[in-house]
Amino acid sequence: MIEVHGLTKRYGDRTVVDDVSFVLEPGSVTGFLGPNGAGKSTTMRMMTGLVPATSGTALVDGRPYRELANPGAVVGTLLDASAVHPGRSGRVHLQLLADAVGVPSSRVGEVLDLVGLAGAARRRVGGYSLGMRQRLGIAGALLADPAVLVFDEPANGLDPEGIRWMRDLLRGHAARGGTVLLSSHLLGEVETTVDRLLVIGSGRVVADAPIRELLGGDGAVAEAEDADGLQRALAAAGLDARRDGAVLTVPGATPARVGAVAAGAGIALTGLRPSQQDLEDLFFQLTTA
Amino acid sequence: MTSTLTAPTTTATARPHVRTTGVPLTALTALEVRKSLSTRSGKLVAIAATLVAPAAITVVLLAGEEAGRAVEMIAVLGSLGALVLLALGVLSTAGEWTHRTVQTTFLTVPRRGRVVTAKVVAAAGLGAVLTAVGVGVACALLALGGDGVTWDGTARAAAVLVAGGAAFTVVGAGIGAALTNAPAALTGAYLVVLGVFPVLLTARPEIGEKLDPTTSLVLLAAGPATATPVLVLTGWVLLSVVAGTLVTLRRAVA
Repeated sequence: MIEVHGLTKRYGDRTVVDDVSFVLEPGSVTGFLGPNGAGKSTTMRMMTGLVPATSGTALVDGRPYRELANPGAVVGTLLDASAVHPGRSGRVHLQLLADAVGVPSSRVGEVLDLVGLAGAARRRVGGYSLGMRQRLGIAGALLADPAVLVFDEPANGLDPEGIRWMRDLLRGHAARGGTVLLSSHLLGEVETTVDRLLVIGSGRVVADAPIRELLGGDGAVAEAEDADGLQRALAAAGLDARRDGAVLTVPGATPARVGAVAAGAGIALTGLRPSQQDLEDLFFQLTTA
Repeated sequence: MTSTLTAPTTTATARPHVRTTGVPLTALTALEVRKSLSTRSGKLVAIAATLVAPAAITVVLLAGEEAGRAVEMIAVLGSLGALVLLALGVLSTAGEWTHRTVQTTFLTVPRRGRVVTAKVVAAAGLGAVLTAVGVGVACALLALGGDGVTWDGTARAAAVLVAGGAAFTVVGAGIGAALTNAPAALTGAYLVVLGVFPVLLTARPEIGEKLDPTTSLVLLAAGPATATPVLVLTGWVLLSVVAGTLVTLRRAVA
């Protein structure tokens, strides 16, 4: 479990991260969203002891990162995929890391297979594409199969196959009881991967809630071939509906209520679901406020 | 890329055996040695540092120069290796900041004091071993090819050079850690050692001798032990390591 309390970073008069608090529970994937410069990377670097915090604490299993006996065994971190010596091969990079973290050498081959880099393992990292470096970074983070994964923009440079693979990896990790913090600019990717959203704007947390709660609108969306008839029936039941072709959006009504009205009027529905806010709209709404 | 990705669920099958304690200092030091020698630049500098004295001896012998007293030739040519080792030290610390690998280093070992200790010990060990090999090969070449060579004082000179090689590598590591930028640290260190000090030694020798580590090493290796060169070399080691440690402990990895 990760607990962050009042984490703040100031550079002179400039406050980059301002009193950020959150808790990451095991068994969940948390998406960390925010515009460029909002303080996501600085927060992740303070959590892992790379950047000293001006104030506040970040605890991993109840202890500051710097006080963990062998942090690589607890937290798998990918903050900057290009932070690898270009003159080393992927295998040598991982072997050195495996020795620092304290896992057997056989693990290097396993993670190389896992991320699909086995064929390029003997090549110098300087010749890797960005996507390959991301995979190498992910391989390094997974060496000790740690309980917590902290990934900053891991999907950068990955192809669609790689992105889907990473989604399965992170979901699988959470399903096994792991904790994941994932920052990304790819909102579609975040939407399909995370359970919880942590949105940061200008250094402050502007939203922290389960993604369903944040995106779940208050209303229902119904589709019917007789959309006119449905709209009239809804109006008769006291419900205002916005119509867009065959699709009716009914604010303030549950799908059950809309379904009941349609059934009462003898109108066949071709679709019925709770209305959902678009993540992109929500993102701009939260971060440009 | 034509690689295939394995289904991620395979990590679930068996958790790897993971050490629960921090990496022991001896293992961390060995790791730093391997890190230094695992890059192309590191290997090249290590090879150059080892071969420069034997190569210089070979040139001297091929030129048909009188070998005379081995100690003088070994003292001068042996210190060339120390100058190259300065770069090996710089790369071991500043190279980490330049290539941003310092991030991984501190993520796995967040107690930075331990990293500094391991790097200093690794630099000293590498410097000593590479110098011992280089000076050993140089002496062997001299024994094989030199006529009428006298060997008195050579063993002592070799021992001094081995210590000097260790000191120069440590100084390089300290300068690199203090400047956190490999090109700047390399340029700065060599500009001072090969540019400023020779000029100073010509213009104001009494000051130059109290500052220049290379002259100190040659004097110490060739002649009787005197306080000044020992103090100069010790001062360089202490200053660079203290400066490097302070920066390493404080600097944010952004």
